Amino acid sequence: MSEIIILADVNNNELKESTAEVVTAALSLGNNPIVVVPGTSPEAAANIAANYEGVGSVIALQSDCFATYDSAAWAEAIASVSPPGHLLTSSTSRGKELAARLAASRSATVVQDVIEIDGNTISHPIYSGKAHEKLALSGPSVMTIRSNVFKPAGSGGSATITNVNSSSDLRTTLKEMVAKASEKLDVSEADIIISGGRGMGTPENFEKLYNVANILGAAVGASRAAVDTWEEIPHSMQVGQTGKTVNPSLYIAVGISGAIQHLAGMRTSKYIVAINKDGTAPIFRHADYGIIATWEEALPLLEQELGSLLG
Amino acid sequence: MVDFVLSEEQLMLQDLAREFAQDEIKPNAEKWDANGEFPKEAIMKAVELGLITIKIPEEYGGGGMGTFEESLICEEFAWGDPGFATAAGSTLLASYPIITGGTEEQKMKYLSKASEGQLASYCVTEPSAGSDVQGIQTTAVLDGDHYVINGEKMWITGAGYANWFFVLAYTNKSAGYKGMSGFIVDADSPGITFGKKENNMGQRCSDTRSVIFNDVRVPVENLIGGIENNGWINAMKAFDLSRPIISSHAVGNARGAMEESLKYASERSTFGKPLIKHQAISFMIAEMATKIDAARLLTWRAAKKVDSGERNTLEASHAKRFAADMAMEVTTDAVQVFGGYGYSEEYPVARRMRGAKVVQIFEGTSQIQNMIISRELLNSFK
Amino acid sequence: MVEIVVLVKQVPDTNAKIEIKDGRADLSMIKWITSPYDEYALEVALQHKEAVGGSVTALTLGPARCDKTLKDAKALGVDKIARVDVSEGYIDSFSVQSMLAEACRSMGAEVVYCGKAAADTNAGSTGPGVAQKLGWASIANVTKIVFGDNSLELMQPAPEGQAKVGVDLPALITCDKGMGEPRRANVKGIMMAKRAVVDLIDVGSFEGNTSVLEHTSPPQKPPGKSYEGSEHVPEVVKLLRDEANVI
Repeated sequence: MSEIIILADVNNNELKESTAEVVTAALSLGNNPIVVVPGTSPEAAANIAANYEGVGSVIALQSDCFATYDSAAWAEAIASVSPPGHLLTSSTSRGKELAARLAASRSATVVQDVIEIDGNTISHPIYSGKAHEKLALSGPSVMTIRSNVFKPAGSGGSATITNVNSSSDLRTTLKEMVAKASEKLDVSEADIIISGGRGMGTPENFEKLYNVANILGAAVGASRAAVDTWEEIPHSMQVGQTGKTVNPSLYIAVGISGAIQHLAGMRTSKYIVAINKDGTAPIFRHADYGIIATWEEALPLLEQELGSLLG
Repeated sequence: MVDFVLSEEQLMLQDLAREFAQDEIKPNAEKWDANGEFPKEAIMKAVELGLITIKIPEEYGGGGMGTFEESLICEEFAWGDPGFATAAGSTLLASYPIITGGTEEQKMKYLSKASEGQLASYCVTEPSAGSDVQGIQTTAVLDGDHYVINGEKMWITGAGYANWFFVLAYTNKSAGYKGMSGFIVDADSPGITFGKKENNMGQRCSDTRSVIFNDVRVPVENLIGGIENNGWINAMKAFDLSRPIISSHAVGNARGAMEESLKYASERSTFGKPLIKHQAISFMIAEMATKIDAARLLTWRAAKKVDSGERNTLEASHAKRFAADMAMEVTTDAVQVFGGYGYSEEYPVARRMRGAKVVQIFEGTSQIQNMIISRELLNSFK
Repeated sequence: MVEIVVLVKQVPDTNAKIEIKDGRADLSMIKWITSPYDEYALEVALQHKEAVGGSVTALTLGPARCDKTLKDAKALGVDKIARVDVSEGYIDSFSVQSMLAEACRSMGAEVVYCGKAAADTNAGSTGPGVAQKLGWASIANVTKIVFGDNSLELMQPAPEGQAKVGVDLPALITCDKGMGEPRRANVKGIMMAKRAVVDLIDVGSFEGNTSVLEHTSPPQKPPGKSYEGSEHVPEVVKLLRDEANVI
């Protein structure tokens, strides 16, 4: 009898919410999935997992190897308690790496970034999302579930928890943990960009853009008008015909009217948000989400909302 | 029949030159042109990649490839910027007479230096002698184991940055073109002075200026091939090699203008739809593309013919005349597609249009090419 | 002297439009390129060789068209180029991992580099999977490496920031950007590539347990939405998360 196994997304004994989404995905493959919760002291996280509606049982997998991340050791410990069957986890960078390793050790296929499950048919995006691939499963697989696609499982379950101790040798040594530096990202490197135009009024007001950028891990850009008007805004920030051509997932244009020279540099962005007080500004014709408002009103709200969501 | 399918390594070479143009030329072209700045740093990067001396034989450190491969590179350079392509091409142009007619010692000394990054300029044109090469006034008189050169050369590309010059001078003026000789002259020879940089309409980064030779003493071993009065034939052979390159220069510049027009026309809307959806514009761009393709085929044929060791004078003139005039038309039309923006230097098409003009003039004007073509036709007719 | 292997993959040009024809992505008119992160891996492998000496082999898996990617690697300066020859079409990840691991083993690899993910699937499964098959340590998404004689010191992103990690060889490293711009080929390299011969490797075949049913175009983006007034900011933030999936 083959089982459905969920590898919980845990960091420092803390269960990540994405695990609830993976539970929902797992339930579309079969009933009573087993959740494996790894940690140096996984009890608390295991209790939360046991509460997810539909979970069959939980294995609280204790091992000292989970103190620092080591893909080989983690995969070995997790594999030792996972029975045969489909195995699912969150589509984070660690989740994807562990999934690949677990698939190799179980002689199964791994499918990353799954967005749809229908019986033995699963879908995931390929070619940077320019196509979806629908696959038929003819045996056990390992899959990672893309976040924000499946609804998180509700609470109210009461699965039994089994505690298991395990040990496996670390293959790598953590020498140092360097905190994230708040470096200024370059617009040509960033996946999210927030740009200001002459509508920002003064170069000092770009600080407001940096506040939002820091929350998003975004780079700050500028229109040509802003770069030409203010010496403080360097040409390296300029997006457009005579500046940089960018292709981020998200481009937020603030106080930018959307002259053709600017559009030439950013129109292939996957999603465009425009904030401008002039509702007739051409930028709105290219925006996926347009907000007709002054930046003075909109930016503090944006900072607040993003902060509570991501901060 | 000429085969126009590129081999694997020709495709790699083309990719290399295209990436170089994309990363090193295009981002700097506006600045070089506006400041009249010679692109020395970028040329040195191209030297390191082996792109500048592609045609110098491998035993002298070059790429050992042919005119065809050189034309592939030149098209990409001019696609990046016409001024850069001209500036970068001057060293090889000055090397042709040595490659085809130099002594072993001259090749070892000067071609190897070129491969290592020394730059050179080709000094033929004079204030009163452009396409009419026989009108030159510069003389070289034997004095012991040196020639003494006197004269003034004009519109010399890259002159201010050259380490040596190829100089065409009369060793026997009364013999007409049969009395011309070619020399290699080190740029630091006493008696050489430079005129101020020309304030040209286009290709403003190519550092064209006059070079004045006043009793410049050149050792006899720098007489090209060690033979007097062989200069004319060497210079003419150089044209057979250089004209396919100039043609590919025109093709690259025009291709750049066409691609920029296409991009702009799909982004810019007028009367409620993108420019490209207006037939007046889409047909203009379609015609650009056909002309560019035709010019490239003429160019490749001329290049492949000379690479196979055949005389290509007629084919090279066909290509040069057609491609140069084509690039002028295409870049002018590109400015039209861009409208008011095209007339501004903010977009690259104005620079391309200014840069296209001189290609109808140097290396034999379009009219000179027609003269050659009609003469060749008449010769084959009788 | 380290035996270095770089896994490189040929993928459709990342700027290409992908059209679906008869339920499959139509790749007949696509320009093929080396997957961009694999170019970083190649750069790292060449730096490794320059630092401590050794030999670099670029290894790919695919049909004959992939020789172009190997020749490009040769032009950059790798010593040998090899390909596991398979026919055109979908190959299950299990088969890919198994075949590449076999090939690495047969070459006596001591360190294997690859990009953090291939640009076509963006999966990142091959590197860690090959490491597992070989019984090696693997370190993913590496941005910086110091090369020791028989060990490496690497920077890897972690939830808390950047982790500096040490590992003894053998190991498999998947590379992100950060080690400097990949070098360009030069004309001499291209001449070397012209003369280079691709070593074809036969490692037998493996049976996976997935098959492709169909490719489809992703749902169209909804038309642009416009809101009057800053009070709609929270709504837009929610849409960016739930509809656009970009934050």
